[in-house]
Amino acid sequence: MNLASLLRRRLRALFRRSTVEREMNNELAFHFELEKQERMRAGASAAEAHRAAMHAFGGVDHVKEAYRDARGTRPLENFIQDLRYGIRILLRNPLFAGAAVITLGLGLGATLAVFNVVNGVLLRPLPYRDPERINIIWLALRGDDGNVWTLPLSSGSYSDIERDSRSFAALAAFRAWPYAIAESPDAEREPVAGARVSPALFDVLGVSPAVGRAFTRAEAVPGGPQVALISHDLWQRKFGGRRDIIGKRIYLGDVPFTLTGVMPPGFAFPRGAELPAPFQFGLRTDVWTPLVLDASDVRNYDVQNLVAIGKLPERCGNSECSASVAQAELTEVLRRNIPVNDQPKSAYKLVSMVDQAAERVRRPLFILLGAVAFVLAIAVANVTSLLIGRVHARERELAVRSALGATRGRLARQLVTETLVLCLLGMVVGLTLAFWGTKVMLSLVPGSLPRADDIGFDWRVLSFAGLLALMAALGFGVAAAYAARLRFTRAAVSVSRTRRVLVMTEVALSLILLVGAGLLTRSFISLQQVRPGFDPSNALTARVSIPVVGRPQPLVDGVRWSATFDQIMARLASAPGIVAAGGVVTLPMSGAVEYGGVRPVGKVYENGQNPSAQLQIVAGDYFGAARIHLVAGRVFDTSDDEPGRASMIVNRKFARMHYGSEADALGREVTALFEWARDRPPRVIVGVVDDVKTVSLDADASPQMYVPLSQLPAFALTLVVRVSGADPLAALPLVRQTVHEVNASATLKEIRTFESVVADSLARQRFSMMLIATFAVLALVLAFVGLYGVLALIVGQRRREIGVRLALGATPESVVRALLGEGARVVAMGVAIGLAGAFALTRVLSSMLYGVSTTDGSTFAGAAAFVGLVALLATWIPARRASQVDPRTALAAE
Amino acid sequence: MTPQDRSRDVVQGTLDMLVLKALSLTPMHGWGITNRIGQITKGVLTVNPGSLYPALERLQDRGWITADWQTTESGRNAKYYRLTAAGRRRLGTETAFWRRMAAAIEAVLRTT
Repeated sequence: MNLASLLRRRLRALFRRSTVEREMNNELAFHFELEKQERMRAGASAAEAHRAAMHAFGGVDHVKEAYRDARGTRPLENFIQDLRYGIRILLRNPLFAGAAVITLGLGLGATLAVFNVVNGVLLRPLPYRDPERINIIWLALRGDDGNVWTLPLSSGSYSDIERDSRSFAALAAFRAWPYAIAESPDAEREPVAGARVSPALFDVLGVSPAVGRAFTRAEAVPGGPQVALISHDLWQRKFGGRRDIIGKRIYLGDVPFTLTGVMPPGFAFPRGAELPAPFQFGLRTDVWTPLVLDASDVRNYDVQNLVAIGKLPERCGNSECSASVAQAELTEVLRRNIPVNDQPKSAYKLVSMVDQAAERVRRPLFILLGAVAFVLAIAVANVTSLLIGRVHARERELAVRSALGATRGRLARQLVTETLVLCLLGMVVGLTLAFWGTKVMLSLVPGSLPRADDIGFDWRVLSFAGLLALMAALGFGVAAAYAARLRFTRAAVSVSRTRRVLVMTEVALSLILLVGAGLLTRSFISLQQVRPGFDPSNALTARVSIPVVGRPQPLVDGVRWSATFDQIMARLASAPGIVAAGGVVTLPMSGAVEYGGVRPVGKVYENGQNPSAQLQIVAGDYFGAARIHLVAGRVFDTSDDEPGRASMIVNRKFARMHYGSEADALGREVTALFEWARDRPPRVIVGVVDDVKTVSLDADASPQMYVPLSQLPAFALTLVVRVSGADPLAALPLVRQTVHEVNASATLKEIRTFESVVADSLARQRFSMMLIATFAVLALVLAFVGLYGVLALIVGQRRREIGVRLALGATPESVVRALLGEGARVVAMGVAIGLAGAFALTRVLSSMLYGVSTTDGSTFAGAAAFVGLVALLATWIPARRASQVDPRTALAAE
Repeated sequence: MTPQDRSRDVVQGTLDMLVLKALSLTPMHGWGITNRIGQITKGVLTVNPGSLYPALERLQDRGWITADWQTTESGRNAKYYRLTAAGRRRLGTETAFWRRMAAAIEAVLRTT
């Protein structure tokens, strides 16, 4: 059998149909003619011969049908015919088609947008080789209160692991490092997010540069060459994608680096949102330089600033390698290298890269997916209801076709084909909406959604869309066919009962969504009413960095840094329009947090058991600029800048925890374990301030301590500038100019108002709230339309009855009341079911709520009342229209 | 259905073989094939157009015959079917099969 010729014959039958038909007619006519001539030759008259030939032929149409069937294109022809017919039917009812396509498009669009995000964040494999084998190694520390803190590793711990552990195929460490890049020494510097990384990082991730080469182990040693890699994005943006730049010099700060290569497009590891916020990685890393550990780093167990990442081998003996076995081995390494006394409550902990990236957002995203499924269900219910209505209107046509010999299966196939057309159109609308919806969703969570770069339409999203559309088409078709069958058996009552159940479901589902949205909104409002302990209004914040050549040496350069910042803030403070200027190394609510160990003098702690508190290094008039209330003692002044001074301010929680009261804390001495200079005397508590929320508005403040930057120098801090005018950003040119006048190579970045820093910290809560609220509104609108449609149909069916009633003297009011009663029953059932459903379901929100219970009575009541009102309005409109029926026309219409 | 009636229709499954056989001498049009089968079987087997034309489509699908339009001796356009090489091979296997079948049935009928 020749497939090509078979295909040619089929295609000819399909696309040259009229030719094929004409040929068939000619051939059969010729056959008939010969048959007739044969009989006439045998002596029959023309009429007799015609009749006999007819008889022998056995019915021309019958022969033609058999002939056509044999062409083998019948099912496809039927499908195309149905498709054409379906499109024609839809075009003839643009209102119905438009309503169905838009409803379906809204439902599918919302669902696909959420699925698109879920897919990118949770389902897609991370863009590294064998991501499931990549793990981050944390130091887990059990605190006095039983809480477990996960800390990054000290360079000492990392060196121990690198030397002793046999659990990993590749092991690397990295830390954030802000850089300012320029092509030549005198060009303007651009602040970029950078990281210092072990050369092995690229082996762990299985990614190599797209152009040039990665740096080698020989380049990551003390005194090695200054080499750097840059991202593809930075290469394009800063250097126009020029290949001749590879191997040439670029400037990071004031230091020349040799550019060894460019990473592939999209590579930006570490991406800040995938790692805990306090590490201050940029959203996307653009510059990589070697992490160099010298002899003193290898012995340093005090500063935990390295994130370690390891790739487990593919096989361990005969089984797959497990993280728990590696974890046990690591803890063994820990015990061998550090005396048990010093680390009594610590262990290493492995977290897979996938979990690390997704664990914080998995639950909210699944809740969103659930919420959007409700919207889709409502949309589907509405379209089903519309379709049943259509079948009802087409009763006559379907009956005629059935009478003309269309089988039930053939009619059902026709209805499914029509709904397929609807669903495909709905899917096109849905995909378009999803494309834009995804962008809107991402703009709600700037920088705080992990793996935002990995979101985009891929085969998973498209096949999910196709699957939804196909399932919907089948479901609708079957529902419509079922309704058609009911019509033929005159079970009109069941049809409207089906539609009533659909509407009831819609009311219930939209109520559940509205309750969820209400709870999240109330929680959001109570979060905004939280007093954070500082005043974010009328203040500008901006991060200022002084470029550092090589390793930062606070003991050498500290005085210079401190003088630079003091000068900047002194100039700003005296400028017109500025009330106060201060600075802090880790700005509250910005994600950055720093802790330090302390030992209040006079108290005895077992080795390694000393308490720790949150450390804030401040400069200038920080307490005035942030309006942090002084409770006792004094704030820092110039006397604290004198050499050899050791002072400290603590918050109320710290004071109460260690000394019982705020007043008793004054004058006490505290040994700080975080000093740059080991010989510094214990610090004296000179003041007590209010508790400040630094991590998030819904978390209580930790014990906090403040030290002046002049005593604990840093080369970067965030300026807080309080202005007298309403717009803090208006002070930006002045701030920029002042900073550059004091130090021309200092960089300014992350320029925001303090209020927007606080607002950004709520981005994820706002994301959930706004999406669920959008879905609730969408659901309510769809339910409104659905309810309206059903009531309008019922009213339409009962026009005559209403006309009779009115003619017999019923008042329009009584008619409206009767119809409203009918709608109210459906609505009341829906509301009751919805309340029960919400009661059962809102507990999934518990971890996302602040200051409101999951069964908050007023939210439930308010949502129920609102849904009830909207639903009754949807009933009232058609009911009122019915009461205005003119009895004469209503009766005459029959 | 009486035996007489049955004789007028081709035995199930033999139609393809009969058509191939009829075309084995010369290309023919549809009526010619009917006529030829009638002649060979002396009117015992007749093929009506409702079976013939679908069978011709089927045989074309399988690649055993081809069709083209030609002018007849009387100057009319007619669709002529001709056997392909594959069709001729098929006729061989069909013939052998029906010979064995006929012999078997003959043997059954001869036993008493």
